[in-house]
Amino acid sequence: MKISSIEYASIQAYDELLDQHLRPRPVAKPLFDYLSSLDEKELEARRQAVEATIMAMGITFTIYSDAGNIDRAWPFDVVPRVMSRREWEPIQAGLKQRLIALNLFINDLYNKQQIVKDGVFPLEVLKGSANFRPQCVGVTPRFGAWAHICGTDLVRDSDGTMYVLEDNLRVPSGVSYMLENRQIMKRIFPELFRTSTILPVDDYPTQLYNTLAALSPRSGDVPVIVVLTPGIYNSAYFEHSYLAQQMGVYLVEGSDLIVDENDIVYMKNITGLQRVDVIYRRIDDDFLDPEVFNPESALGVNGLMRAWRSGKVAIANAPGAGVADDKVVYTFVPKIIKYYLDQDPILQNVPSYMCMYEDQREYVLKNLDKLVVKPANESGGYGMLIGPRATQAERDQFKELICNNPRNYMAQPTLNISTAPTIIEGQLAPRHLDLRPFVLQSDKLYATTGGLTRVAMRQGSLVVNSSQGGGSKDTWIVEEDL
Amino acid sequence: MLARDAENLYWMARYLERAENTARLIIKISDTLLDIPNGASLGWGTLLKVAGLDQLYQEYYDDANENDIMHFLIADERNPGSILACVKFARENTRTLREMLPEDLWERINGLYLYIQNNLQDAAMNRRNKYIFLHNIITQRHAIVGLVASAMEQDLAYHFIKLGRSIERADMTTRIMDINYAISLPEDDPLFEITMQTLWAGILKSLSAFQTYRRLKAFHVNMSEVVDFLFQEKRFPRSVKHCLAEMEACLQSMPQNEKIIETIKTAQVNISKQNTKAMNLSRLHEYIDLSQKYLGNIHQSIDSVYFRADEPTAGLSDQASTQTQTSIVSA
Repeated sequence: MKISSIEYASIQAYDELLDQHLRPRPVAKPLFDYLSSLDEKELEARRQAVEATIMAMGITFTIYSDAGNIDRAWPFDVVPRVMSRREWEPIQAGLKQRLIALNLFINDLYNKQQIVKDGVFPLEVLKGSANFRPQCVGVTPRFGAWAHICGTDLVRDSDGTMYVLEDNLRVPSGVSYMLENRQIMKRIFPELFRTSTILPVDDYPTQLYNTLAALSPRSGDVPVIVVLTPGIYNSAYFEHSYLAQQMGVYLVEGSDLIVDENDIVYMKNITGLQRVDVIYRRIDDDFLDPEVFNPESALGVNGLMRAWRSGKVAIANAPGAGVADDKVVYTFVPKIIKYYLDQDPILQNVPSYMCMYEDQREYVLKNLDKLVVKPANESGGYGMLIGPRATQAERDQFKELICNNPRNYMAQPTLNISTAPTIIEGQLAPRHLDLRPFVLQSDKLYATTGGLTRVAMRQGSLVVNSSQGGGSKDTWIVEEDL
Repeated sequence: MLARDAENLYWMARYLERAENTARLIIKISDTLLDIPNGASLGWGTLLKVAGLDQLYQEYYDDANENDIMHFLIADERNPGSILACVKFARENTRTLREMLPEDLWERINGLYLYIQNNLQDAAMNRRNKYIFLHNIITQRHAIVGLVASAMEQDLAYHFIKLGRSIERADMTTRIMDINYAISLPEDDPLFEITMQTLWAGILKSLSAFQTYRRLKAFHVNMSEVVDFLFQEKRFPRSVKHCLAEMEACLQSMPQNEKIIETIKTAQVNISKQNTKAMNLSRLHEYIDLSQKYLGNIHQSIDSVYFRADEPTAGLSDQASTQTQTSIVSA
């Protein structure tokens, strides 16, 4: 397979698999030896087999539009992203460190607010947080863990440094694609798994089950665990169903649950009601309980917050955990780690400017053409300004948005995000990518081996979100031949 | 088991069974068109009535003709009984059930759906393509039933699938039997006898029943024997009696089964006491209507006992028109 040297010459990013002379890095050598043993026809045949497999397995996500909801096949590139175990292990440690600190932080915010009193985290940031839920004040969930499942987005800059781009603490998705990507690769390229030592990823459902089971308020019994989904029309429905299936737990919708006057949660069975102990919810806080949050919600369950506050059911992630999933809070994470753990952060934050501070805002407004501006509470890559690629009109519009609501915006220098070779029209062309590992915390800590690699399939694009044309790759953590 | 899951399993099976039988029904209609002599005619409007789809059809189409009806039965998503819609609903239901079904089952049903989508165009082109298309749908459906039979643990989920499959099968057997009611051929036509024989043999063939009929019932084909066979022959898996017995057997290992079993027994008694010997086509049509009402009652009792245990009992409905799952269809 030919490497598109023209496209590679046109970008200056770090490539995950190729060095500056377009030779495979040592970690990717066995992979490239294998790929070069396949002629173009053979590789194309495999690529088509992958596509057919994806369609047959029905691995889809849903795009919403006025013309109806379309089930799109999950776009997948067969060239994996490879990383050495030596490089991965410190990252894994950094992810765990981050989640421990974030959970201490969330628990502090809903209780003593010591970090605010000590002047490390400003009161005005807390006051401006859209995701701080007063309904959660005074609660300490089991093990002090609020965010039990965290999806952390990592990117690599041109000098090779890995940065944390954001922490997704509300209902992060994508882990099922990580697992399915590996299944597909094993089906279509079994030879590869014989020649390389690729660390397995399949233990995630078991780890997730253990994480959830440990939260059960009734000890001693086998806990009844459910995955709470908004339903079949949610774009991540495939994942909800997949995880329930893999863990062997119930997949329920809000209408399947009721909370009685003793604050106990039940699900409606064919013969009556059965008590529920742990809810892995894939519904945003706002829709969780019409009694407390959005009264219009048809997805939630009346009384769920009562049940949770009185400790009769566990909810993962806990309501209110999203307070730390905020792009302004993000900028404080290095300080948060230092404050609670007295450690230096293992993983770097991308340098960030907060528009709420006058001097930083000045800088941002003057340099809009060089910066990426992000709203604090959006996810999925929406509502962003990529300065260098925006028109003057778009920049002017953001100037106004920032001035009207400075707390809601932060800005970062445009990173030169790394690439990996991706099959585009029969050639290997560089495409930008990120990495989303998943980190679990309840009685124990766990981080996935690698994670979900998302890749922007369009030339030069930095947007990796599946809702906006992104695809994915299998992610290999390999033992290096020494 | 969640009530909603039970309901989805039941309907998944019903929709798949309906898709297969609609394919059988269309094959039978197409054959009939070739078999009837000059001077006889097929009443397309009556045919729709038999299928329980006449009112819905009139909402969307001006007159009842072959092309429109075929499109309506095969590919019109506005018709919840069309093959495409049935398989689509079954697929949507399966999606909500993936965690409790054999892993390959989703792939099979998804595959059937993709097959139908990709081949609709070809099937509309000519009768030969249509036949191959319908035949393939039946074959793929058999693979799905086989997978359930061979790979699924026989727990509650399995029983709900079987209940849905059996009730729909009984219902569709009666509807297919009723097709000949749509044919008008003067009794004094010299070809009357032989044509009616051909038509009743066609009914048997469309239900894969011809061979069994000959072995178990009679060599010669006539209406009263065929009707008796399709209602009463316990050994034939598509007969009404067999389907009711299957349901009863399923229910024996399910909780809170008394009320439903009683409804089934009532249906059995009332269906068996009909005398098919001296029946003409319009008497048969009434008999079929009555049977469908009893099947409707069984459905109502399953629905209220298992799917709506926490709601006040809904009154038994009297309608014989094709039933559909309200939540999924309206979504």
